Amino acid sequence: MTVAGSQLSPAKRPKWRFVAMGVGLILVAVALTVAWQILAAPDQAVHRELAGLRWVAYFFGSLLFLLLIAGLVLIVILLLREVRLNERQSNFVSAVTHELKTPVASLKLYLDTLQLRDLPESRREDFYKTMRQDLDRLHATINNVLNAAMYTDRPVVDPQPLDLARLTRRCIDLTRTRYQLPREAFAYQGVESLMVRGDAGALETAVLNLLDNAVKYSKDRVEVEVEVWGDGDGQVHLRVRDHGIGMSRGHLPFIFNRFYRFGSEMRRSSMGTGLGLFIVRSVVKGHRGSIAAESAGPDRGSTFTLTLPGLIGGEAESA
Amino acid sequence: MPRVLVVEDEAHLATGIKFNLELEGYDVEVIGDGLEALQRLAPPPGSAGNGWDLVLLDVMLPGLDGFQVVDRMRAAGNFTPVLMLTARGLPEDVVNGLEAGADDYLSKPFDLSVLLARVKGLLRRRDWARSGGEGPETARVGAVEIDFRTFEVKTPGGTVRLTLLEAMLLKLLVQNAGRIVSKAEILEKVWNVSPETETRAVDNFIMRLRRVIEANPRFPKHLHTVRGAGYRLVLEG
Repeated sequence: MTVAGSQLSPAKRPKWRFVAMGVGLILVAVALTVAWQILAAPDQAVHRELAGLRWVAYFFGSLLFLLLIAGLVLIVILLLREVRLNERQSNFVSAVTHELKTPVASLKLYLDTLQLRDLPESRREDFYKTMRQDLDRLHATINNVLNAAMYTDRPVVDPQPLDLARLTRRCIDLTRTRYQLPREAFAYQGVESLMVRGDAGALETAVLNLLDNAVKYSKDRVEVEVEVWGDGDGQVHLRVRDHGIGMSRGHLPFIFNRFYRFGSEMRRSSMGTGLGLFIVRSVVKGHRGSIAAESAGPDRGSTFTLTLPGLIGGEAESA
Repeated sequence: MPRVLVVEDEAHLATGIKFNLELEGYDVEVIGDGLEALQRLAPPPGSAGNGWDLVLLDVMLPGLDGFQVVDRMRAAGNFTPVLMLTARGLPEDVVNGLEAGADDYLSKPFDLSVLLARVKGLLRRRDWARSGGEGPETARVGAVEIDFRTFEVKTPGGTVRLTLLEAMLLKLLVQNAGRIVSKAEILEKVWNVSPETETRAVDNFIMRLRRVIEANPRFPKHLHTVRGAGYRLVLEG
């Protein structure tokens, strides 16, 4: 948490711009006040002298006023943005605490139970299984937090050629095992093999996060279509489409933001920390790619399309 | 068999808690949603009570959060003892929970033995109160009149209904009026937990009581804090 925490601190973001803008606006306001005092002075002599300048003064005065108003509007917008980030951050702390403490509480409860009670073997096996799932969940949360810190605003260090199609199929298998889903829950369509240049670990994290979301936000029946294809421009695409809860248009622009989650954390409806899609976007950006989300509306599923420069494109650029 | 409602949306925790409570001989039902829990807690038409003896309540819930659940329960005149479970463990969570009307809280992760002891404690207190308990039936503190049989306090501003543990704490203080009652003694006699228990419950309950019996809770005239020693109730101030 400290890793991510250090990045979150608002202290690291540039403050001088706000200060400069504030000072500038104050100067404008002072200038306007002084000029107004002079113009409005009852002294007739000054008035006559200034008569010629009057229209010039009005013109610049109005301009400065507009500047002042524009500055204030800008400040209000920035302030609102800051407030929203703050809210998301506190929601994030809440979500991570919950995601870390819940499996720990469960593990402790089951350990205590095993220690306190004399249980038949079959019941013990059940408990071990539950505890294993709790450990997996704990591990996933820890990875998420660490990955968010690792992949933020950082290009891939040592890109290697890798097969995205194979990587995707491996991720599908992993997700299927993790959630104990039937074979038909995932339908893979697309090419057998497709090479890109990148960081296999990072890309795997991104794809796993997308698949994870597809399962998590599916309704009772999980049906996810995964597609990988290359196009003529040397670009490689990966599409994950689910038939789950979807989202309204209003959410779409924000879902890749760090800590973004639907609604308030006090009324949580799903597990998560609000880091998953942020990690996906960070990884994709690090690979000079892009990610897009679509949804026809609530309850109508979501589609995520990831685009990466293909191997050929990558080589042409580095040459 | 005492009936316990467990309101917890995390399936693993809910199953584990239910399993253990059932082994202790309770009749347990699990609900994973705040709004549904409220409906389940509402008394069936034509009956006096709602049939529940204790509610174990998580804070982060889908539908309606735990604070709001307990708040609405109390507002609807439901005084079933509530033990809150919180994962965030923030001091303000504890304060919020107790102020909303919870009787006790436990932060996750918790010890199973502690959970079972608290549950047993709350239930025993309840039985004790139902049978009328011991000690005075009514008391008068300054301008307010307290009826320990109905948990009602008549104040100049109107009648206030106390929760079970509020009433028990007040009774303990009334029985020892003029004398200092230590926090350890309160924990042992009212909450039925070890005197060494780390909890802010007592301080919060004292604040709640002050709000009921004091004209100005910030400058108490009856219920005094004796720093480092405990609390003292003065009947005439």
